[in-house]
Amino acid sequence: MEKFLLKNIDNPNSTDINEYISVGGYKAISKALEMKPADVIDEVKRSGLRGRGGAGFPTGMKWSFAAADPKKPKFILCNADEGEPGTFKDRPILEKNPHLLIEGMIISGYALQAEYGYIYLRGEYPRAKDILKDAIKQAHDKGYLGDNILGKGIRFHLHVHQGAGAYICGEETALIESLEGRRGQPRIKPPFPVNEGFLSKPTVVNNVETLANIPYIMEIGAEAYSKIGSPDCPGPKLYSISGHVKNPGVYELPMGTTLRDIIYAHCGGIRDNKKLKAVIPGGISTPILSPDKIDCPMDFVNMPKHGSMLGSGAVMVFDETVDLAKVCLRAMKFFEHESCGKCTPCREGVGWMRAILERICNGSGNEKDIELLTEVSKNIIGKTFCPLGDSAASVVQSFIKNFRQEFEQHISKEASKEIKAAA
Amino acid sequence: MITVTINGKKITLEKPVTILKAAEIAGIKIPTLCHHDMLEPYGGCRLCLVEIEKMPRLQTACTQHVTDGMVVWTETEKVVEARKGVLEFLLINHPLDCPYCDKAGECNLQDLVVKYGPATGRFAEGKRTHPESYDDPIIVRNMERCILCTRCVRMCDKVQGASAISITNRSSKSFVEPFSGGRYDCEYCGNCLTVCPVGAIMSRLHKHAYRPWLIEKEVDTVCSFCGVGCSLTLQVRGNSIVRAVPKPGKGLNKGLLCNRGRFGYDYVGSTDRLDSPLIRKDGKLERATWSEAFSYIANRLKKIKETYGSNSVAGIASGRCTNEDNYVFQKFMRVVLGTNNIDSVAGFAYAPAQKFFESIFGQGVTANPMHGIANSDGIFVIGGDPTSVNPVLGLQVRAAHQKGVPVITSGYMQGLKMFSSKSLIPNPFTETALLASLLTGLMKERPFCGLNSAFEKIIRDIQPVEIKEAEEICGITSKDISYAIDTLSVMTNPSIIIGRDILQRAEGHTNLLLLAALIYLLNGRIYLLSELPNEQGLVDMGCLPDTLPGGRPVTVDIFRKRYEEFFGVEIPSRSGLSLMEMIDAAHANKIKAMYVMGEDVVSNVPNTKHIKDALSELDLLVVQDIFMTETANLADVVLPSLAWAEKEGSYTNLERRMQMLRKAVDGKGMDDWQAIAEISRMLGFDMDYKDSGDIISEIAKVSPLHKDISYKDMEDGECMWPYKGEPLRHGMSIEGIENSKFEIRNLKFEKYVRPERKKIYIGIDNPLFHAESLSRNSAALHSIAPEAYVRISKVLARELSIANGDYVTIATNSGSIELSAQIDSDLPENIVLIPNNFDGKGVFTVMNWKMNTVIKSPVMDFTEVLVRKATHVFKEATIKN
Repeated sequence: MEKFLLKNIDNPNSTDINEYISVGGYKAISKALEMKPADVIDEVKRSGLRGRGGAGFPTGMKWSFAAADPKKPKFILCNADEGEPGTFKDRPILEKNPHLLIEGMIISGYALQAEYGYIYLRGEYPRAKDILKDAIKQAHDKGYLGDNILGKGIRFHLHVHQGAGAYICGEETALIESLEGRRGQPRIKPPFPVNEGFLSKPTVVNNVETLANIPYIMEIGAEAYSKIGSPDCPGPKLYSISGHVKNPGVYELPMGTTLRDIIYAHCGGIRDNKKLKAVIPGGISTPILSPDKIDCPMDFVNMPKHGSMLGSGAVMVFDETVDLAKVCLRAMKFFEHESCGKCTPCREGVGWMRAILERICNGSGNEKDIELLTEVSKNIIGKTFCPLGDSAASVVQSFIKNFRQEFEQHISKEASKEIKAAA
Repeated sequence: MITVTINGKKITLEKPVTILKAAEIAGIKIPTLCHHDMLEPYGGCRLCLVEIEKMPRLQTACTQHVTDGMVVWTETEKVVEARKGVLEFLLINHPLDCPYCDKAGECNLQDLVVKYGPATGRFAEGKRTHPESYDDPIIVRNMERCILCTRCVRMCDKVQGASAISITNRSSKSFVEPFSGGRYDCEYCGNCLTVCPVGAIMSRLHKHAYRPWLIEKEVDTVCSFCGVGCSLTLQVRGNSIVRAVPKPGKGLNKGLLCNRGRFGYDYVGSTDRLDSPLIRKDGKLERATWSEAFSYIANRLKKIKETYGSNSVAGIASGRCTNEDNYVFQKFMRVVLGTNNIDSVAGFAYAPAQKFFESIFGQGVTANPMHGIANSDGIFVIGGDPTSVNPVLGLQVRAAHQKGVPVITSGYMQGLKMFSSKSLIPNPFTETALLASLLTGLMKERPFCGLNSAFEKIIRDIQPVEIKEAEEICGITSKDISYAIDTLSVMTNPSIIIGRDILQRAEGHTNLLLLAALIYLLNGRIYLLSELPNEQGLVDMGCLPDTLPGGRPVTVDIFRKRYEEFFGVEIPSRSGLSLMEMIDAAHANKIKAMYVMGEDVVSNVPNTKHIKDALSELDLLVVQDIFMTETANLADVVLPSLAWAEKEGSYTNLERRMQMLRKAVDGKGMDDWQAIAEISRMLGFDMDYKDSGDIISEIAKVSPLHKDISYKDMEDGECMWPYKGEPLRHGMSIEGIENSKFEIRNLKFEKYVRPERKKIYIGIDNPLFHAESLSRNSAALHSIAPEAYVRISKVLARELSIANGDYVTIATNSGSIELSAQIDSDLPENIVLIPNNFDGKGVFTVMNWKMNTVIKSPVMDFTEVLVRKATHVFKEATIKN
């Protein structure tokens, strides 16, 4: 398919505004400004665009909730925290096609009648900060940002705010807390950010990729956009593939491309011609799949039917040399480190799971440990404040369900004997 | 109407509340840990998860609001399993310290695990550790026990407003730590301690001292420290007060306390307490029996009265004594000794201010419930920092600010620095010009309401001060003054909070007039700050030279005659001497005898030397107190009194609410009223009181304001002015009251004061951690603020090359003292502030003696000072506990 999101990124000057304009950039703005804000929202609604951060919420619907709330001022926040392990799809946009994001944000600001936009950029992307700031300045100088955009009397100001290394700040309410200068902990919902978000005002939080799709929708129209990719889940999708494939990287493909196609047709198959052992399809928080499950179309609607989720579309491929118990442990180390500590099950339970997995992996696990792991994960799922703890526990459960033997191979006969003797 | 079914029980509600609240209404208890009624819902502990029909996941009852038709189940298998799971998780890293943790027996976690939790744990890994912190006085923190409910953090941040602590770090390495690292550096209010459900925040005062189940009795009483009168409960074991705790939601303080009330009660059990009457023999105070002391006093008083006349005797009452004590005291002075020479420190600022405001606005104009402050649409504070004088009232101002209510403060007020929309700090003693400029500005923006045309005429006659002029005199920018005027002008019913500092000035009476004018113009609600628990009681019981019980003026025939009829004795028709006049009269040998009840005049009134000299001239000085105060040290007879926790009685707080004190422990002294009654009997006037209840019954007959009052009325804590009585009608409408008109005329404002440049003056600092001379006897309060200090400005510090903690010599023409310097960048450069709470180093030892003759208050604004770096200082060894 013709690239839009990653158009021109191979050009070394792709971040320059003149370069962006020369390949057709900043046309969508003019088009949007001809329409009424409510009509822009309508267009996005009809396009069927769903949030690309992982939740897949219909973007147009989110915008309409915020627009309907009478409180002012309104805010549009770009979630550039990209913390989900395995995910690096937003990075090319941030570092190589910043103007696409900026254009998308200006249009969203206009549609929502929000005069302020913030890009919440993860602390681990320092290069992107300077690139974005430069791009914003260029856009300002050319009249696309500021108090009188394109002479139409529209105001929109864009700022970059850098995070400080917390995965939890990718959760929209924790992001807003962090932006307000507070501790990055999620808030009680309801109220939802679209009604009471940043500074208790209506706030829309959208992923980088979601906002990058907006100019496309404006340019080709909702009708044409909805025909790309899957019927209930249209548009181009950026998949970031890593692991044991020949050609890892970020690929712009239609929504709904199958996992098999992604791995074999686009990424060249398993490196060194080894055998595929397992795939995590949408970032570490999504259930792991065995090789027999990879004919699933990668979109929001079909993935659940095949036992996993689209998530962020971050594909992690593992070949036969990988010890999946260790992968599970590594995942739990991540979640333990990133847990904000607010709710009991996540704060205590994830650490517990990590400790058990560590014992298993270093040979001091006993035969009761896998059961214990499952019990602990059951006490976490559905009991947490936000999905972080939930995801961690689901990950453990899916690893055990699909690859139990990976853990069993570590169970020490010695330790098991000791437990039996002590009982 | 919303219908909700919980565990099969149907209830209807008018508006949506949380499931937790709805269950409470239905009589169903759902366990919680991170929830607290004073705090916003947090939803972190996950203990209150419940099952809701049609919702797939369990929801937390504390955050989920009910909807019409909702069906909730709180005891299903799923819910029980969830609770067990949460408790198991909490016990993973929580150390099994129960055998040696002070919280055992009143620990929420313990109780919950016993009721809902697993009996054994399956956690076989290592617990996380964190060292116990002893960096603070009063509070000890053990973060291993912390379950991260964040009640302490939310309490400190949102309710107390001190924002001293926060959660640091993340995940299971989260710990509650002070922002400053190490030490809290906070207000030590102890509210975090109150809300901590486990033994993570504990009090150092009782570490390992007792077990909660060993407490023998709990007595509900009110605090003895300031004019708010917070409800607290004293826990007693073996005739010792073990702890003072608030009851959640109880009393007008709603379970909040300040460091004084929470921790300062230990003065009651101090070994320095007086335990025997003392009579001076050959220049030394010797122990005596009660009857010896009473005879001595009675005989000498009789002699002095016969030789020099009734008006050669004077009495000083106390705002720390109960209404009953003070009533009997004034009765003794008037009926038995025949003089109106009675006064107290209430006569300095509180009483004159109240009287003046009442003469314009009517009786009871200061009787406003404290909770009205957070609900007003604007606040103006002047004359004292409410967060140090009346801390729980100060919380109201902070709460208001957090709600977005505009707050304008005038004066140096560190506790409200972060809580005011505009903080005006005028040059020392130039508040008069500032007030005048605010008034001038407001008169341009607001019309008069027409209710008191006589007063309106007076206001119009006040010489205006334009903003530019005020800028020059006060050192505040025009922009700030304009902002204050604009903000004040749109308030419809603001709370006006007035402290005594603005009245203890050479122009104190002028300030009073200007404040009254502002209040009139703004339709303000008046609150008078008071650092004494019963200052209002002094006024109500008639412990003033011109006032009888019930606030009736003694000079008005109709009231005096009614009083005389009741007792069958004539009393003088003229007002007596005020406190400062008494001291001067003692100096001049006009006063021969003084009876001082519960007041340390030498320490608590400027100028120490002048007062000592005056008292030394007396033929007889009788002191009734609980400690050997500096005043008692000069006495001929000292009688030991019962302290606040050792007696029954009532206090009237600054809202004019009457509340009961209850006896918690036995003391070695005698009730103040009882000692006086004994002496009175020996002088031929029987006062037959079995207990304080008899006294309140008499007060109900003598004071029209307290007509028909009884202790029963005070039991529910809602005994508010005007009780069941008759307030004095507006002075203007009674024939023969020329005085009030005269006083208003007398306070006509003509010119304003300009301070001299290049001079430095002394002011009084009112620290949060001390209370007059009383807190000297509290080891707990001393552990927070052990050393006397002087606040100096950054400019002065630089001039003298002084760093924080260096010693400076403060010298006035009354004396000099050495103090540790505390540099404050907000303090104006020509003033230094010194507290009056430390033995021998109080500001009153160096403050000059001068009286404002209109208000009869000490003038605190003209003592010049010389500040030098100290060359040679002996530092007392301090024993760290």
